[in-house]
Amino acid sequence: MIPSLKKRSFLLYLLTAISLGAMAQGNFSPYSQMGIGDLEDGFYNRTTGLANTGIAYRSNRFLINNNPASFSDLANQYFTMETSLRGTFIGYAGSPVDIGATQSADITFRRLAMGIKVSKHWGSSIGLVPYSTQNYEFNVPYAIQGSGTEIANHFYSGHGSVNKAYWANSYEFFHHVSIGAEAGYIFGQLNQRDIIQAGNGATQVSTTNDINLQNIYMTYGMQIYGNAGKHWSWGIGGTFSNKADLLASYNKLVLGADSSTLQNNELQQRYLSLPNSFGVGLSLTHNQHFTWLADYRYQDWNAVQGKNVYPGQDYSIASSERGSFGFEISKKKTLYNNKVELSYFQSGVYYGNSYLQINGQQIKDMGITAGFGVNSLKTPLAYAITFNYGIKGTTKNNLIRQNYFNVNFLINYGSIWFTKGKKFE
Amino acid sequence: MTIHKYPRKKGRISFFSLLTAVFFLTSCQKQPNLRFGNQYTNDNNGSNVVVVDTSTVLVSTIYSDSTFTDGTGYLMAGTYKDPSLGTVTSRAFFQVAPPAGLPSLSPVNNTYDSIGLVVFFKKNNPWYGDTTSQQNYVVNQVDSSYQLSPPFLIGYSSNNSLPVDPTPLGQTGPIYIHPTALDSFPLTSQGISDTIKIRLDDKLGRQLYNMVYTLSDSINNPTSFQNWFHGLCLSTDGIGSGGTGAIYGFKDSCLMRIYYRTAGVFAQQYIDFNITNRSLAFNSIRTNYANTPLVNIRKPTGAYNQTPPATSSKVTGNAGYIQSITGLNVRLSFPTIKAIALRPDYIGLLRATLTVRPVPDSWSTTWRLAPQIGVYTTDQNNLLGTPVPAAGISGAQTGALNVDYFNPQNAVYAYDVTSFVQAVITNNASNADSLGLILSVPPPNNVADFRRVVIADQSYQVNQRTTLSVYYISLFPHN
Repeated sequence: MIPSLKKRSFLLYLLTAISLGAMAQGNFSPYSQMGIGDLEDGFYNRTTGLANTGIAYRSNRFLINNNPASFSDLANQYFTMETSLRGTFIGYAGSPVDIGATQSADITFRRLAMGIKVSKHWGSSIGLVPYSTQNYEFNVPYAIQGSGTEIANHFYSGHGSVNKAYWANSYEFFHHVSIGAEAGYIFGQLNQRDIIQAGNGATQVSTTNDINLQNIYMTYGMQIYGNAGKHWSWGIGGTFSNKADLLASYNKLVLGADSSTLQNNELQQRYLSLPNSFGVGLSLTHNQHFTWLADYRYQDWNAVQGKNVYPGQDYSIASSERGSFGFEISKKKTLYNNKVELSYFQSGVYYGNSYLQINGQQIKDMGITAGFGVNSLKTPLAYAITFNYGIKGTTKNNLIRQNYFNVNFLINYGSIWFTKGKKFE
Repeated sequence: MTIHKYPRKKGRISFFSLLTAVFFLTSCQKQPNLRFGNQYTNDNNGSNVVVVDTSTVLVSTIYSDSTFTDGTGYLMAGTYKDPSLGTVTSRAFFQVAPPAGLPSLSPVNNTYDSIGLVVFFKKNNPWYGDTTSQQNYVVNQVDSSYQLSPPFLIGYSSNNSLPVDPTPLGQTGPIYIHPTALDSFPLTSQGISDTIKIRLDDKLGRQLYNMVYTLSDSINNPTSFQNWFHGLCLSTDGIGSGGTGAIYGFKDSCLMRIYYRTAGVFAQQYIDFNITNRSLAFNSIRTNYANTPLVNIRKPTGAYNQTPPATSSKVTGNAGYIQSITGLNVRLSFPTIKAIALRPDYIGLLRATLTVRPVPDSWSTTWRLAPQIGVYTTDQNNLLGTPVPAAGISGAQTGALNVDYFNPQNAVYAYDVTSFVQAVITNNASNADSLGLILSVPPPNNVADFRRVVIADQSYQVNQRTTLSVYYISLFPHN
């Protein structure tokens, strides 16, 4: 029996609520205090095991939000929903790391997306994905101004996330071209707090800067694909995100030791610019069994550097880039004249420069991935587990290197939509 | 297109159970300890704590001409010469009464022996001065009515005294009193534990003995007795040996004792006239500020309801003086304190601490510091107001003195005066500038302890002066 509309609505509501509640939590990320936090590189979808390589990737079941043009490949009148969560283990190295506590671990929701094939050539998807996250805490001894001997402590912390709710549509032309557009609504709050503590740890005063960010961020995509002979198929993809100004609203709240409000000011609104972003990707598939993929992504932060005023000092924003390769083996079976995928194995490598330049070092991120997925024949669910080992940052110039190991879980739910139980091609 | 069967109830339950479990697991995380980020933080973006310890603190000494020294529980007698506060003399006035049950005396079996005054100095009684100085203790008889009648309607004060017969009833000495002697040693040089005995005039003794023998009405009726025998005065005959002297606070459980003999009885026999009307026992205190900076102190003129005058530290040796039992308290004024709130970065008061430093060479093991000094609000009337409370601490503040004889500059009285500073900063009343603080010995020692403090004013170097440290929260305006 098909799950009723009521039950599906409940499932959507539950997953949305959990995702919004859990996205902001996570491991400490020392670099997230800069800019608007750690920008999210991953898509937490079928391509995660491919080192998130998927600008040219298309799937009839999974939601490939790497490129909004991909949704036109969804199966006709098919509804699908995906959620992802990630477990992360991080080892921190470098002179600023206390050797007594060098590791952290967490589990967080990362994505919730739904897609539907609206018509034969029109695919559509909505979703909620992280755009950036901020999560840091550190202490700084502070010589009280005016006193030569008294030391207090600044406890700095920053928590929050900027998320993207998107609605993407793509349309297929001529069976070989798909064009897509994603309207993303960027929104979120970064909560940065500076607590001055006395020697006994008691709070003396706290300053909380809340930065609320919001705006529309458009992404356009295109995929061209075809077959090369009887055994090979190919794909080329490209994405472009138009630069946009994020409206940043600042609120500064100063509380005294007794939590009395000393100041609560809404400061002047500013705009923080998100840059033009480009991405190109290639895919090559042999016998619908082996697939090779390559992506290159570039964000032109240099062009918007002058407009952005971020909290903090002594670091700069630089254009970021990322290259990745992926390889996939898909195991399929023919059922009722259809090839049905039973499972798949993926691997990938990636290398990139982040948008942060600190102490003359642009923060690099590199790693390898491997994944395995199973599509259930008895239930409408598909599962994937992906492993990712990576290195971010460096120990040079008094910086921190993070060696991280991610385990990603992807759960996909698919069902015929609007058919009252009838199944058809 | 994938062909599948639709989920069974069991599968859905498992799916939701997994989601729920993961949701709770998100809170199970540990975090590293990172010392990273301070150089990238813009301190001007947040609030800071700034301390201002350069506010002007004006020190002056308030002189009250009297303190209520009756009923304190101590008979304080002696004279000492303090290099900072001059000569201080205390005489104790008290009354004795015959016992309720008088013995039956007969001329055949009983004979008079002697009479004496027995006073007790207990281990923790107050004392002040040089304990190596020997003193002669003198007892005089009060020569006038000793009761609460005009001008003593509300009790006896330190500036009161009663006329006494100039001829002493008795005296003893010179003797030492060792207040800090070990328990196994006598406290006085008379060698009788904590007791000092002063032999009195036998003429009085025989008279009293005969009155007991004859069952005189004057000795059977307490009122009649006090009309006849007004009271006693215990004092010393001068500063004592070495020119330093001391004042000791004897317990107010003293007694006048008549010794007599009974034929065939070897045990000591006596009749005790115990102290009575303890609330009327008082200490009469006189000071002489000659050859000290206090010679310049302003004293009340005697006008009715006069405000106790304040004398600036500039004319009293750049110091303020606290010896509450002799009427000396210190007033602190802060004429520039309101300017702190006018700073552009001031957004709130965090705390304020007052550090009171004794003049380093003004105290020693002989001239000891008052262990407790209270802090009180005051206004233009220079009277003690309410104690200034400390945040988070119940009870009045007493300065938490830590005496360090080897590093005298470390001896400080410290107070949390946040509530006072807050009140002044936010006070726009016309008399706001007259608000200040008074430092005074808290009760009950304010009328029973001669330990004192000489407070350094702001003419002393920074680490030796009295300072007010105002910690405020600073935030520069942002757009």
